[in-house]
Amino acid sequence: MALFTPSFSCRIPTSTSPQRHRFLLSHRTFAPRATLAVETPSSSTADHGGAPKLLLEVKDLTAIIAESKQPILKGVNLTVHEGEVHAVMGKNGSGKSTFAKVLVGHPDYEITGGSVTYKGQDLLEMEPEERAVAGLFMSFQSPVEIPGVSNIDFLNMAYNAQRRKLGLPELGPIEFYGYVAPKLEIVNMKVDFLNRNVNEGFSGGEKKRNEILQLAVLGAELAILDEIDSGLDVDALRDVAKAVNGLLTPKNSENGRIVKTGDISIAEILEKEGYKAISGI
Amino acid sequence: MVTIHPMSISTLNSYRPKLCTLPRSGNRPPRTTRYKVFAKTPTFAVLSDPHVLRLAETLEDSITSSSSSASPPPPLQKLRDISSQSLLSTPWPTRKDEPFRFTDTSFIKNSDIQPIPPSSTQSVASLSVLADNLFPSLTIVDGYLADSLSQLSELPDGVFVGALSRLSSENIMEKVSKYVSSFQGDLFWSLNGVGAPDVIVVYVPEGCKVESPLHLRFLSLDGSDKDSKTLPISNPRVLVLVEKGGEISIVEEYTDGDGSDRCYWTNSVMEVVIGDGAKVSHSYIQTQSLGAAHVKWTSVRQESTSVYKFAEVSTGGKLSRHNVHVQQVGPDTVTELSTFHLSVGDQLQDLHSKLVFDHPRGFSRQLHKCIVAHSLGQAVFDGNVQVNRDAQQTDAGQLTRSLLLEPRATVNVKPNLQIIADDVKCSHGAAISDLEENQLFYFQARGIDLEVARRALIFSFAAEVIESIPETSVQKKVQSLIKDLLDPALASREEKK
Ligand SMILES: Nc1ncnc2c1ncn2[C@@H]1O[C@H](COP(=O)(O)OP(=O)(O)O)[C@@H](O)[C@H]1O
Ligand SMILES: [Mg+2]
Repeated sequence: MALFTPSFSCRIPTSTSPQRHRFLLSHRTFAPRATLAVETPSSSTADHGGAPKLLLEVKDLTAIIAESKQPILKGVNLTVHEGEVHAVMGKNGSGKSTFAKVLVGHPDYEITGGSVTYKGQDLLEMEPEERAVAGLFMSFQSPVEIPGVSNIDFLNMAYNAQRRKLGLPELGPIEFYGYVAPKLEIVNMKVDFLNRNVNEGFSGGEKKRNEILQLAVLGAELAILDEIDSGLDVDALRDVAKAVNGLLTPKNSENGRIVKTGDISIAEILEKEGYKAISGI
Repeated sequence: MVTIHPMSISTLNSYRPKLCTLPRSGNRPPRTTRYKVFAKTPTFAVLSDPHVLRLAETLEDSITSSSSSASPPPPLQKLRDISSQSLLSTPWPTRKDEPFRFTDTSFIKNSDIQPIPPSSTQSVASLSVLADNLFPSLTIVDGYLADSLSQLSELPDGVFVGALSRLSSENIMEKVSKYVSSFQGDLFWSLNGVGAPDVIVVYVPEGCKVESPLHLRFLSLDGSDKDSKTLPISNPRVLVLVEKGGEISIVEEYTDGDGSDRCYWTNSVMEVVIGDGAKVSHSYIQTQSLGAAHVKWTSVRQESTSVYKFAEVSTGGKLSRHNVHVQQVGPDTVTELSTFHLSVGDQLQDLHSKLVFDHPRGFSRQLHKCIVAHSLGQAVFDGNVQVNRDAQQTDAGQLTRSLLLEPRATVNVKPNLQIIADDVKCSHGAAISDLEENQLFYFQARGIDLEVARRALIFSFAAEVIESIPETSVQKKVQSLIKDLLDPALASREEKK
């Protein structure tokens, strides 16, 4: 079940790419479903001449489940430059979420081989929280509930961790409220969203909105959105898509890059025909 | 008959094999008796325990010498008679008695127990600790009502809050007579009955809804040095009587006032009688000195369609034992118990609860949480739920979670359901756990380091229980109290790493 075996690295130069990519399309394999359209920033660092900066380089990465020692990732390669949007696809259980979680340092998995370089640093040597403050963000496919910790306290803690790293003074609860309240608009949520406990009793859509809210508050240089579109109704999907697109534009965030993981069984096609099979969309 | 036996201790043990020292594994036969007299000798042959008799005499002497010449009100006399009668045949409990299997009371037994006389409490009139009081309140110092520290002006007409000895209404007196000591507890219950100088009565007449919460503050001021063998004892006793359709919220607080580790023994009893359709919300906060023994009984009798909501936070005492007994005596009755125990030192926190259903459509939710944050700390939970034959369509849920933060910290958990009715919905669960990996990782994935994340999760552990306290001001106070206790405990834990 080597899923990421075909190394695929898609680079989308802004100048030549269409304004809108629909990644999860196929004539045969895919049931029609809502997909997240991701717009490539019309202007990014890539436009200013020179090769875009290398952001993430995954080479021959292998990983096993720490507890059962069962191999999941069997040689994954992926290269991401600034300004690129990637879609990682594969059928259910193929290891997309595992790949995402391995990148952010989840303790359930053990790396058994390969390398991951992020902004020139050995990512695998970094603690999960160091990866996060270095601008690597992952939205969870199923975010965990944390009873007893309010959303605003959680966001405040995370934001302050980042401020500390940058040598900036931390924000108290009142200042932080001033910073975070306007961000709620991005995900179209009311203020009481902040007072609820983290993900506790949230609907599927609310959980996803909350992940995007965290992204909006913390910012990111490389955002991995794991099935951010799944389980959403039309309204929620529209809100989330809009939010992600908004975060991608250079005005809202300096550098937006999305690696989209989907649950569609395209791995086989990739395996047989390589990236070209889908690159002609 | 279905008897769901406590999740076997060995199962629990498997959660964290190294951290819980749970004495015996293996299955024991289901227990159906309430009190198991340890059976080398048959029950009828239990003889008077000379130690208990001596203590009972000391208590009786202190009562006669301290009370005024007037004879006690009849209900009080009755209480004393019944209690001393039962002491004649009640031995001091040992670890061989099931209710005390994990709770060693020999520290109390081996002390020189001295009743606190009323005179030594006069100096408290000047106490200013109490200035923060927002509610109508009654202050009881070392077991004696302190008028100068009490403030009851806001209570509605017909409500009586005060000492039984000063109760003039014959009507209320009659009702008190009916219920005082209508229940029989253990040795400590009876010792209180003999040693209580008076009974604090809270009476809410029919249909009366008391708006502001009533604060009952029990202060422990007299105490001996840690090294002395003397153990001053106080025996506060409260009877709460809420008539049909009445409503009241009570905050019962035990504290030593100055945060020292002086030694004393508070042996307290509260009886609550809730009439048809009446509602009582009861918060119980125990922050006694870490040298103290704190033994407490809460016995509740709920008539039909009544509601009893109880929230407890106990952090104090070297030895703290709370017995909660709730009896539903009518149908469609609601009971909610939420409790949190914290051991940050060399101390034992014990909750023994018993919920008895005898009528149809009873409802109960029980949540017990505890944290043991010291290698010599200990927690005990025995949660009995008894659903008897006529209690059809009972819906009873019980959940307990324990968090052990130090190697060798101990918890003994015994959820215990006895179901005789056949159409019931009962659930229970027990977990002894460390913090959730997935929750910790969620913090880390957002840039928050592990220690900050651990702290946040530990503090949040008690949140569910604290949120069940109705008064926001009490919630806040308890939150900061827990934070103040956990902060140093967690700091010393980090140093060791
Ligand atoms: N922590 C884990 N423990 C046990 N099995 C796991 C764990 N994480 C992933 N797996 C298994 O690894 C495989 C890949 O899972 P996942 O990465 O979630 O797939 P995808 O996201 O592509 O649907 C699945 O078979 C899944 O059950
Ligand atoms: Mg997945």
